[in-house]
Amino acid sequence: MIQTSYAKLKRFFENFYLICVLIFLYAPIAVMMVLSFNSSKSRSQWGGFTLKWYRQMFDSAPIMEALYNTLLIAFLSALIATVLGTAAAIGINSMKKLPRTVFMGVNNIPMLNSDIVTGISLMLMFIAFGISLGFRTILLAHITFNVPYVMLSVLPKLRQTSKYTYEAAMDLGAGPVSAFFKVVFPDILPGVLSGFLMAFTMSLDDFIITHFTRGAGINTLSTLIYSEVRRGIKPSMYALSTLIFVTVLALLLLTNFAPAENGKEPDVSAARARFKKGGYEKWLLTAVSFCIVAGVCYTSWRHLAAARSDELYVYNWGEYIDESVIELFEEETGIHVTYDLFETNEEMYPVIEAGAVLYDAVCPSDYMIQKMAENGLLSEINFNNIPNLDQIDPVYLERSQSFDPQNEYSVPYTWGTVGILYNTKRLAELGIPAPTGWKDLWDERYQGEILMQDSVRDAFMVALKTLGFSMNSTSTEELSAARDLLLAQKPLVQAYVVDQVRDKMLSGEAAVGVIYSGELLYLQEEAESLGLDFTLEYVIPEEGTNIWIDSWVIPYNARNKENAEKWINFLCRPDIARMNFEYITYATPNQGAFELLDEEYQNNHSVFPDVSELATSEVFQYLGTEADDYYSALWKEIKAH
Amino acid sequence: MNKKSTRILAYPYLVWMAGFTVIPLLMICYYGLTDRTGAFTLDNILAVASTEHMKALWLSLSLSLISTLICLLISYPLALILRQHHIGKSSFVVFIFILPMWMNFLLRTMAWQTLLEKNGVINSLLSVLRLPPLAIINTPAAIILGMVYNFLPFMVLPIYNVLAKIDDNVMNAARDLGADNVTTLTKILLPLSIPGIISGITMVFVPALTTFVISNLLGGSKILLIGNVIEQEFTRGSNWNLGAGLSMVLMVFILISMTLIAKYDKNGEGTAF
Repeated sequence: MIQTSYAKLKRFFENFYLICVLIFLYAPIAVMMVLSFNSSKSRSQWGGFTLKWYRQMFDSAPIMEALYNTLLIAFLSALIATVLGTAAAIGINSMKKLPRTVFMGVNNIPMLNSDIVTGISLMLMFIAFGISLGFRTILLAHITFNVPYVMLSVLPKLRQTSKYTYEAAMDLGAGPVSAFFKVVFPDILPGVLSGFLMAFTMSLDDFIITHFTRGAGINTLSTLIYSEVRRGIKPSMYALSTLIFVTVLALLLLTNFAPAENGKEPDVSAARARFKKGGYEKWLLTAVSFCIVAGVCYTSWRHLAAARSDELYVYNWGEYIDESVIELFEEETGIHVTYDLFETNEEMYPVIEAGAVLYDAVCPSDYMIQKMAENGLLSEINFNNIPNLDQIDPVYLERSQSFDPQNEYSVPYTWGTVGILYNTKRLAELGIPAPTGWKDLWDERYQGEILMQDSVRDAFMVALKTLGFSMNSTSTEELSAARDLLLAQKPLVQAYVVDQVRDKMLSGEAAVGVIYSGELLYLQEEAESLGLDFTLEYVIPEEGTNIWIDSWVIPYNARNKENAEKWINFLCRPDIARMNFEYITYATPNQGAFELLDEEYQNNHSVFPDVSELATSEVFQYLGTEADDYYSALWKEIKAH
Repeated sequence: MNKKSTRILAYPYLVWMAGFTVIPLLMICYYGLTDRTGAFTLDNILAVASTEHMKALWLSLSLSLISTLICLLISYPLALILRQHHIGKSSFVVFIFILPMWMNFLLRTMAWQTLLEKNGVINSLLSVLRLPPLAIINTPAAIILGMVYNFLPFMVLPIYNVLAKIDDNVMNAARDLGADNVTTLTKILLPLSIPGIISGITMVFVPALTTFVISNLLGGSKILLIGNVIEQEFTRGSNWNLGAGLSMVLMVFILISMTLIAKYDKNGEGTAF
């Protein structure tokens, strides 16, 4: 009696424990599923049930293409890795000890090395050997990190098989090939299949390696999501994930009622019988071949379709254009646009420098344009091909001279300031008046309520301006003083973020955040449509700030320079510039477009400040590698503190 | 088997490894041992001794050790329970732990942000229950949680695999000879599952040591891990040489893990899947 109640209790605790772990594993997934039905875009506000994200997901060409790429790459890489890995495992099994140890050592490198090292080393090699980054390079990289997983699951199975059965088959008159496929292969099949599954999963889940080895115009789901993390993930991504999850779960439950493959005791005859009978292996094989044929057809068709028309490769910030503008351009000129995104100026630079992908039009920021020009990475724009340049307010061309002295390399696209966004309700709760300058970000009452910019130059700009220095300072004393100031601020900072500041301010996580002026309109509109109980206001700090300008440039190695000029000219057309402004809400330097705007926008001083308000502000300049290194060393000190 | 002819089967992958594992590794070494002008230098390697880098490395080591330990403490009882109950078929268990990985890694980590934030799901639940809020977002604790969450399957599966292979008769024999539950665990199960534990530890420790995404998303970028340093040198600081030099230092830790594996896992039994 005592025994059974003890067993019951034990059983209860075991189940309880199991359920706890499963909750831990599946809680975030449940969150995603709920968010996929949330009609509000915010991660923290429930706006009611909706299915619109599912519709949007199927309508979105980038998502569908990324899904297709992800599945195709996962499939092909897993398949090739399985073949390579299984063959290698068989080969290695009959090697002597020393070569085998060396072989396994090298084999383990991609699995044990950090993803970032694997990704970067592959990228360095592809660039060094002049292999242009794209679908191919992602596939090669995925195969490389997948093979070790296949080998790891095949090798133990191989060791369990008896070599005598193979020899017996040969004695009974089977050739080596048929002996292998009839005797050895069925034995190791469970290992091969689980290796394939593992490789598929790892490929599906990989982000870092793909991030470093991908090229123009190709996204997998991971890289697409990463470009969205900065600006808030679109709920259609959650919808897609939910759909994938449900599909896989359904497949799982189905296959789980199919014959199991328990590797404990390799039962040769049963495994063979199952293979002969045509179990799911055969079905799998058919599916595999179908997918490959379909994939090859699709990619080659796309390749041909692309080759027929005129080409233009554009490299721009994420969410930095109204996508219908691209379609309009394609319609009007018949030029096919391959549109690609970068996250930071620094990430864009090596891609252009190495010529890993040959872009025709790029949209970097001020100081980066200067760096590119100084290092000979830009080609002069032929302004005869850009008659719409007269639409650009001369003020901005003048400002551009601080990084492009002769106005020969760049055409301004957007501009703005960096300032403080604050949550009026939260400030009232804390009893703090609205901030007016950077110095307010050192107010101790803001403990854990500040979101700072996570970029070296912007963070130092805040400190340097507070101290009254130039934000282009290279003086070691001034910079050390700025570092000390930032160190003093760190305990007050909730997080250093780049674009996540939008999401966090919307969900009321922090009271103040350092933000780009262009985000303001989006945030205010979003706050209104969510019906939030607080408002967000923006102030340009009185100490002066960073006036940034993002401009279009043409790299030295552009292959379609005239098309790039057509593109830039098109974007300078007032109606087009207005479309872009209304979509991305970053201030436009285009006078013609400005005149077309609603008065409400024209009078918005946060977005279009008066010149007088910017007297103490500056434009970033490129300070040279030495100063760059010094800045990043100081920034590291702050971060590590 | 005809050894010579089967050995040929390993050659295609040998060539592949030379091209896609060894050469890229040499590229890293080349960058790590040169400066921007291409002249030989050891500065990039020695840079690890600077205060910031040591701090970052130390923090990464301690956080990843803690999360490896937590993973082990969660996984071992779990694997024992799964083994005892013979829950379903072995493939089903594998699937339950692999399945979350089919949801994108970034999305899953973002979801934890949603759960943990000041106004997040957990805190809303706590406030409904009138409990004090949980304030671990942007702290090392949140990073540990993220690491444990993301790498737990890599610990559970290898341990479960070795445990599932232990014959029930071995356990019965131990009992017949008078061993109690604790003795069976320490004298039979633990020693037999060492290969799985070792391979689990490596598979959790290495990615945890080098992660930068988890510390960015859950640590609010306030906490600098060695992975963040390397990532920033490549993507923001654009000093690739320094990034490569630090990666070489990280590889030392990988070498240590590899020798550990070679020592304890002679038969390759401790496989994950």
